Amino acid sequence: MNLKGLLNSTTIADRILLFVLILLSLSGIIFIKEVLPKGHTVRIEVNGHLVYLLPIEKDRIVSVKGSVGNTIIEIKDHKVRITESPCDNKLCILQGWIEKGSIVCLPNRVIVIISSQEDELNKRVDAITG
Amino acid sequence: MREKFKVQCSMFNVLVSIFLLFTIHYSLFTLYGCSSQKEKVYRKNTILMDTLVTITVVSNSKDSAEKAIDSAFFEIEKLEKLFNFFSSDSEISLINKNAGIFEVSVSPDTLDIIDKALYISEKTEGAFDATIGAVITLYDFYKKVKPEDGAIKKNLPLVNYKYVTIDKNKLTVFLKKKGMLIDLGGISKGYAADKAVDTLKRKGIHSGLVSVAGDIRAFGLKPDGMPWKIGIRNPRAKGQKDDILATLELRDMAISTSGDYERYFIHDVKRYHHLINPGTGYPAEGCQSVSVITTEGALTDAFATGIFILGPEKGIKTLEKMGFDGIIVDSQGKVHITSHIRGKVEFKRSS
Repeated sequence: MNLKGLLNSTTIADRILLFVLILLSLSGIIFIKEVLPKGHTVRIEVNGHLVYLLPIEKDRIVSVKGSVGNTIIEIKDHKVRITESPCDNKLCILQGWIEKGSIVCLPNRVIVIISSQEDELNKRVDAITG
Repeated sequence: MREKFKVQCSMFNVLVSIFLLFTIHYSLFTLYGCSSQKEKVYRKNTILMDTLVTITVVSNSKDSAEKAIDSAFFEIEKLEKLFNFFSSDSEISLINKNAGIFEVSVSPDTLDIIDKALYISEKTEGAFDATIGAVITLYDFYKKVKPEDGAIKKNLPLVNYKYVTIDKNKLTVFLKKKGMLIDLGGISKGYAADKAVDTLKRKGIHSGLVSVAGDIRAFGLKPDGMPWKIGIRNPRAKGQKDDILATLELRDMAISTSGDYERYFIHDVKRYHHLINPGTGYPAEGCQSVSVITTEGALTDAFATGIFILGPEKGIKTLEKMGFDGIIVDSQGKVHITSHIRGKVEFKRSS
């Protein structure tokens, strides 16, 4: 039986069923995307306020205005660094690329945190001492 | 006629299957919806006390979680204003400016933290000493300047917790010798974590985690019924700053770590770090990192410093005597641990 024959042998009901099944599987994809944890995100906060929430997968460069001036943050190859900062000690720039954890620029009150989804909290640690 | 019946029949089947599939799908969605109304973990960060403060709480409402966290941040900010060594209008600066002159009236929190600091000095035989200010100000860890030996020798007699007198009834503090400086840097973060937890509890939060830099206080359990999991930083991490040496679970406990890697510079192949021995005026040797675990953050914070200065052998003895737990990495990288938590600390395989 060729494809045409196969199509001709279906009833209206079969076609409705096929259509509904396709619809359901598509909605399933959306559902799963919604429920399952996403990858890591880069949180950029200034003075305790969230300024950017960015996926780590996408390379980009952003600039945020802190207490002293502009801090430039670069995301590349699932890593994050601060490339420019108006602070005196430049400790945030010296820290270089990070894949996890955080970079804090105290003078400019900028915090960059690589955070995983809340569902993932159990697998890793909740806080680090030291 | 028969054909028509067949169509109707399969139409019926199709409707039933569609109905069933939708029911399954719908129940999945509502299940997800229900779980999102259950208790969740909320987390906020801010910069206070010149460091990163992170508060995590378990709540069934985002709004009440955030309000509670903001109140706790406000509490820490209030303490920062009282204890700040570098701000000229803090109560600590007022005490320091009046050293050898007057006794200074202070707020209950300032008296309380100094009282705790003196208690810890006594229990560590002066290894932790909040009057280290007169010597520690000679070091500049940003400019990487080692002070002159003569300057250390000159200021060392000003370091002694026994020259601090407090009056709990009059709420006053007096430093007996002129030039003495109280610096609460070794206890204030843990104390702030304690006070933040008190605030969260007052706001109806029954489970959470407050971390003021490396000083962490945990209470209650996570939504999945598990205790909070804490990582101890590897004191000789290569590259990654957040390389973890070991993990352990905390329930209604605090943990603090003092390490020679936090603020230091290398001068003549010697590591000058911020954990200054009050007996010599020079950085303490013998440990790379010390973690202390007990019920209060003020205790873990100051004891971590004190035990670091005592060194691994005496340190473990002191912890056992106090009934506290601890993990010490000595200068050779060997790990010492108190007997009570042996087996409860999960070490990452050494790389």
